[in-house]
Amino acid sequence: MADKIGYERGSEGAYRRKGAERFVRGAASYVDDVQLPDAVYAAFVRSAAARAKIKSLYLSAARGCPGVLAVLAASDIMDGIRPYRGPEGPLADLLIHPLAQSTVHYVGEPVAVVVAESRYQAQDGVDAVAIDYDLLPAIVDPEAALHPDSPLVFDELDSNVAQEVHIASDGVDQAFSGADHVITERLRTQRLAASPIEPRACAAVFDAASGRYTVWSSTVTIHAVRQQLAEALGVRENRVRVIAPDVGGSFGGKVHPYPEEFLVAHLAKRLRRPVKWAETRIEHLTNVRQGRDQIHYLQAAVRGDGRILALKSKIIADFGASTRFINSLPAAALYTTGAYDIQCQQVDAFGVLTNKTPQGPVRGIGKADAAYVIERFMDIVARQLDMDPAEIRMKNFVPEDAFPYRTATGSMLDSGRYPTCLRKALDLAGYEELRRQQLDLRKQGVLRGIGMCLVIEPTSAARRGQGGAYGACRVRMEPSGTVSAFPAYGPQGQGHHTAIARIIADRLGLVPDDVEVFSGDTAEAPYGASAISSRSAVTLMPAVHVAATLLREKILRIAGHVLEIDPGDLRFEKGAVRATGAPERELQLRQITRIAYMDTYRLPPGLDPGLEVTGFFTVPNIIWEPDEKGRRNEFAAVPYAATVAVVDVDATTGRFRIVKYVTVHDCGTTLVPEIVETQHYGSIAQGLGEALFEEVRYDLDGQPLSSTFMDYLLPTVNDIPAIETDHMVTPSPFTPLGAKGGGETGTLGPPAALGNAIEDALTPLRVKVRERPYTSDRLWKAINEAAS
Amino acid sequence: MANLAVTVNGRKYVAEIEPRLLLVHFLRDVVKLTGTHIGCVVGRCGACTVLWKNKPVKSCMVLAIETDGSEIMTIEGLSPNDRLHPLQEAFLAADAVECGYCTPGMVMAAYGLLQKNPAASEDDIKRAISGNLCRCTGYVNIVKAIRSVVVAGKSQGA
Repeated sequence: MADKIGYERGSEGAYRRKGAERFVRGAASYVDDVQLPDAVYAAFVRSAAARAKIKSLYLSAARGCPGVLAVLAASDIMDGIRPYRGPEGPLADLLIHPLAQSTVHYVGEPVAVVVAESRYQAQDGVDAVAIDYDLLPAIVDPEAALHPDSPLVFDELDSNVAQEVHIASDGVDQAFSGADHVITERLRTQRLAASPIEPRACAAVFDAASGRYTVWSSTVTIHAVRQQLAEALGVRENRVRVIAPDVGGSFGGKVHPYPEEFLVAHLAKRLRRPVKWAETRIEHLTNVRQGRDQIHYLQAAVRGDGRILALKSKIIADFGASTRFINSLPAAALYTTGAYDIQCQQVDAFGVLTNKTPQGPVRGIGKADAAYVIERFMDIVARQLDMDPAEIRMKNFVPEDAFPYRTATGSMLDSGRYPTCLRKALDLAGYEELRRQQLDLRKQGVLRGIGMCLVIEPTSAARRGQGGAYGACRVRMEPSGTVSAFPAYGPQGQGHHTAIARIIADRLGLVPDDVEVFSGDTAEAPYGASAISSRSAVTLMPAVHVAATLLREKILRIAGHVLEIDPGDLRFEKGAVRATGAPERELQLRQITRIAYMDTYRLPPGLDPGLEVTGFFTVPNIIWEPDEKGRRNEFAAVPYAATVAVVDVDATTGRFRIVKYVTVHDCGTTLVPEIVETQHYGSIAQGLGEALFEEVRYDLDGQPLSSTFMDYLLPTVNDIPAIETDHMVTPSPFTPLGAKGGGETGTLGPPAALGNAIEDALTPLRVKVRERPYTSDRLWKAINEAAS
Repeated sequence: MANLAVTVNGRKYVAEIEPRLLLVHFLRDVVKLTGTHIGCVVGRCGACTVLWKNKPVKSCMVLAIETDGSEIMTIEGLSPNDRLHPLQEAFLAADAVECGYCTPGMVMAAYGLLQKNPAASEDDIKRAISGNLCRCTGYVNIVKAIRSVVVAGKSQGA
């Protein structure tokens, strides 16, 4: 598998990320950089209350502001934008409007929109709008919201439970009654904000003559945005063209269509002017879907030797006021056993509505929570049994000869060498020596801790009604013999164009510079999924490979016909096709394209003209339909990483310092090793933010307390320790390139490994560290509570 | 409204502006130089970093009118003859660019540092870009890129 892509590292000269020059020149074009003559600007009035009835809305002052062209509330757009229904389950009963009707459900919910000649005038208009609220007590605690007597987030529903997942193996109760130990724990993941450095933005132009809309959006999902825009606007989707030009990162935040896109497109038609909108950071931190925020109650049946016989999990996920697809809950429920061979399992998971910003993905969805929880829990079990945390993991890992492995939830772990990976990380870190040093340092009063984890990060999600199982790419050889490629979707920084160009160049005897990639425009992209769930290496790149191979075969067929040689005896070489053993018998690609496009009479009989193909690849191992026990497989491939972290904790301040951070990563075959390395560093940095200080907080009234970069902290360069990395390659048997996707695994390491390390450091003080992020004030309090 | 005369990348601009207009909006919306980006408007993310009077500043923290009579340099001014500055080359060579949104601010912060301190150490580099957030790269390759320019003796240009 690993040698399926023929290129050697660096064989085409020094590595360069394709198309990156425009970024260093400041010549890239993000949505807000798109110049639209005569454009006007939109700004949104947003709810200041978490739960309230809107008593009155005063718009007239705003309408009188200089430069203001329109101020619209829900009642003004009734005939322009259709409400949509929520996804499956109880939410399907909801009719959702892009602007709040009479009730608001979270701080930041759009209530009205102002359009003006300039950005500042639009904001002035927003500031001139006054709202009288009838405040209601906010529902902020998901466990309380679960109670039958709780008030409701949506009056239209019967309860606050938006989604449930239940999966149970046979024999769970017997396993518990026969266990030597029953160990229970409660663990929680804090709410996170995706926070790409580019906030969201959109712009729209309506062409009255053709009835067509062109919408620029900083979205990851051009096809979904187009489809939902068309539905909302009440037009066919072929009247809507969505363009995602350069997108400045997403990390989950730009995955879903949002109401602003509907409104901006509607306004472009209504005003017959191009309309632009750029999200502010405050809007981003209060209105863009937020991640994590799950509570897991665990109960394990454990044998005396540390073998876990059964695991029960109750999961309560805080969905906020979500009205869209919510995939975090099943993703968590399906992977609660992590990398471990625990075939007896029960999961009861509840997605609960609250008056907070809607919940969604942030670099890993659900699986990230599950990975954190099981990896912290393994240490907790080890501690109770007085075992080494490495030993308990080794005792419970899925054995290396058991792949592909079905977990008790039906999820398929495609391939892996978990014990080898952890061993490698332990060796790289010098684990035995670290333990010896730890004892010496303790004697000197230094609180050193060693933490580890082995996280799995299933990729390429596919679900009924949502798709995701296939990749698509159209490839055309141009008359010059160069290639244009049109993948179903484009990147937000992941470097897809580099990988696509390499794969195509390799199949067609070209250099990557001969390949240009065009992405992010529904007018030219094949229909398909998007760059979510680390799927591109797993589904898109194989589709590129298929397309290049189809093109290759067609070119060889034409060449074989013309040269009167069996295509099997031909090979590609530097812009030409040559006969093996008789290199003088050759056709330049230009000669072949001339036949394909112009002199079509020279084509083999029956062969269509042209050199343009679309390649598809569908992952073969999705199990769409849950069986009677709820078992299914939603993810195609499972990369993983082992981490060993070493920290010193200062008990007087609660601060900790990362002394060592070692990680071994296996994402199968790496298509472009340089990109995997860069992605992995960034992924780890995001996980460090999650462990160190990132936290979306709300007060008891549902007011967000972290709505600017002054109080929602992202890691800076000074927060990144020296990171030692190593890689293993265990190809996926289910994808032709063997790649598993590598964008998210790194993020899962720091919260688990650092949590375990800090708790290990504080062993002499008997301090439990169960809340994240591990801020100094939180640790200081825990240390002082344990002392008193 | 107020009159502003300012030199941006060596070219003089005269404009009638609102006194409240931020420098970053002046550069992007009036001068139409969109390489300077907006990420937070509270001076935390650094995506809007430009050089004002030869010092890196966050242009969301400066009123355009304050720059009257002075000189600004943006990312577009770094390679005026189409030839990349060694810092820009280094960012490409070290794979220090992913989504690219923070890149212009990051490069300008580094440029400001190397103008002042051509022999900047790794610590100096980290201090200089500590006000510039990158969500993609984990900073590893960014520090590597800037350091490589120092090591190659190209801090003051090629």
